Amino acid sequence: MTTTVDSSKPGRTMIRLENLRKEYPKEPKPAVDDLTLEIPEGEIVILVGPSGCGKTTTMKMINRIIEPTSGRIIVDDKDVTHEDPDQLRRRIGYVIQQIGLFPHQTIAENIATVPKLLGWDAKRIDARIDELLETVSMSPATYRNRYPKQLSGGQRQRVGVARALSGDPAVMLMDEPFGAIDPITRDRLQNEFLRLQAEVRKTIVFVTHDIDEAIKMGDRIAILQEGSRIAQYDTPEQILTAPASDFVADFIGAGASLKRLNLSRVRDIELTQWPTVDRSADGAAVLEALRTSDKGCALVLDEQRRPCRWVSATDAHRADGRALDEIGLPPDAVVEPQATLNDALNELITANYSVAIVVDAAGVYQGIVDIDHINEAIRGMRTAARAKARAGLAEEAADPLVKGDST
Amino acid sequence: MTLWEFLGRRYDDMLEAGLQHIVLVGVSVLLATVIGVALGVATYHTERPRELALAVTGSFLTIPSFALFVLLIPPLGIGFPPVVVALTMYGLLPVVRNTITGLREVDPAIVESAQGMGLSRAQRLTRIELPLAWPVIVTGVRVTALILVGIATIGAVVDGPGYGEFIFDGLARVGSPVAINLVLAGMIGVIIVALLFDTAFNLIGKLTTSRGVR
Repeated sequence: MTTTVDSSKPGRTMIRLENLRKEYPKEPKPAVDDLTLEIPEGEIVILVGPSGCGKTTTMKMINRIIEPTSGRIIVDDKDVTHEDPDQLRRRIGYVIQQIGLFPHQTIAENIATVPKLLGWDAKRIDARIDELLETVSMSPATYRNRYPKQLSGGQRQRVGVARALSGDPAVMLMDEPFGAIDPITRDRLQNEFLRLQAEVRKTIVFVTHDIDEAIKMGDRIAILQEGSRIAQYDTPEQILTAPASDFVADFIGAGASLKRLNLSRVRDIELTQWPTVDRSADGAAVLEALRTSDKGCALVLDEQRRPCRWVSATDAHRADGRALDEIGLPPDAVVEPQATLNDALNELITANYSVAIVVDAAGVYQGIVDIDHINEAIRGMRTAARAKARAGLAEEAADPLVKGDST
Repeated sequence: MTLWEFLGRRYDDMLEAGLQHIVLVGVSVLLATVIGVALGVATYHTERPRELALAVTGSFLTIPSFALFVLLIPPLGIGFPPVVVALTMYGLLPVVRNTITGLREVDPAIVESAQGMGLSRAQRLTRIELPLAWPVIVTGVRVTALILVGIATIGAVVDGPGYGEFIFDGLARVGSPVAINLVLAGMIGVIIVALLFDTAFNLIGKLTTSRGVR
């Protein structure tokens, strides 16, 4: 029942909004002003922008909770602008910030809503409920017959996602789905959701006002200005390194370079080697190792080559015959290769010797990351993105569908 | 003759009047509920019709009951029919008002998520909005029942059934020793019927409300 990854058709357009416009009577400016946007299959596309920019209105026109004044909506190669909206909505998953679980129904009944509307038989619905609860890491035996009020905020959010997935829709619309959740739980749910998306590969339109969430969750980000006009529609990397306009740069805000560090991982960069000595060695060995390097301290490794101590030249002089793992300082700031550069930076800033030690999953020393790495990575990304942006401009000039202030 | 002896002697009459009283109020409450919920559902969405429904059903309550019963004699005669019609009219306001309040108190996010999942307007109403408004509606019906148990006694003026007969009998014999007993017996009967209705609706409310919203 789960959609499998279909890599044969990469980049196929799943949703196409054509000259979409929404005007409200008594309001001088349209809420959505002539928006054209293509959303590729299997990607998470984030609509992000300041409040009142029309991002939610845009999303709600896709399942026609809000009817467009003019323009066309094409989903899966079919013009759905005038299709029966109820039929359309049963094929599109929908998650809103308040989740909106039905409080008078059990979790199982909530999840069964769309499958029932689609006329599935009871056995299939039952199996689907269990499958989905397990997908969102909730034990079916425990939660099936509970009511929403018996769940925590994070659990309700999970059930909301499970309910939206119940009819196995190809498309999901999510309106600030993690907005009402405490920061720690939000981070966990975002990670869970990304892991889930890697399996199910839905086409997702995701609305948020939080640029950090957009960068984390999006395969592509559309930054919207008033009237839902596209200021930039691109990958997070491109948007961070080559903002298309002052509006985009302002919206990303200060710290774009820091945000960009969330996009690359320790395993992607070349690590620096550091003077190391074995635990069984003595102070003289440390001094010897330091003589041939410009560093002020050596990293002591145990028999399995796991970091166990920092020992400086001063420490080594004062060793007085004590073992190396009894002098110096404990090895703080240890990161694994899948950590982001942002994580590494966080660690090394507070570390004793301003470096983060990289170890593999077994804890074996691999190398270190220092501030020079971070600088270099930022410079590298900027150069790459600028080059890509220049190449992209030429393409866009030939493609009238991507409108925006990209000059 | 003490009240106690009186009740013992008129036991059969008391029981019969009680049953009539219950049937009369029961039928009226049922009609008021059906009409009132329908009115509430039809008007809760838009302001003008909503205000109108509340104003009209509210104005019924200002008509003196004595007058209304008498006014209904020409079209409906005497006995059961005019009393049921009058009681239904009196019972509408609490039902309509609570239906409107209950439906309007349903969290819009819940209704929107239902709409987003493809439930039609009618499905949203019957599966989501009415079940969620139900506890409030039942409370309105309960209030209606209590009001009608009292007003039903006055129906005796047009020969309506129930404990009103006792009270009007007593009224006709003011001065005689039996008068006070008749009025007291009618009053006790009304109180018992009121308690029965209250208990019944309390129970119905509990049994028909989902555990998830209790």
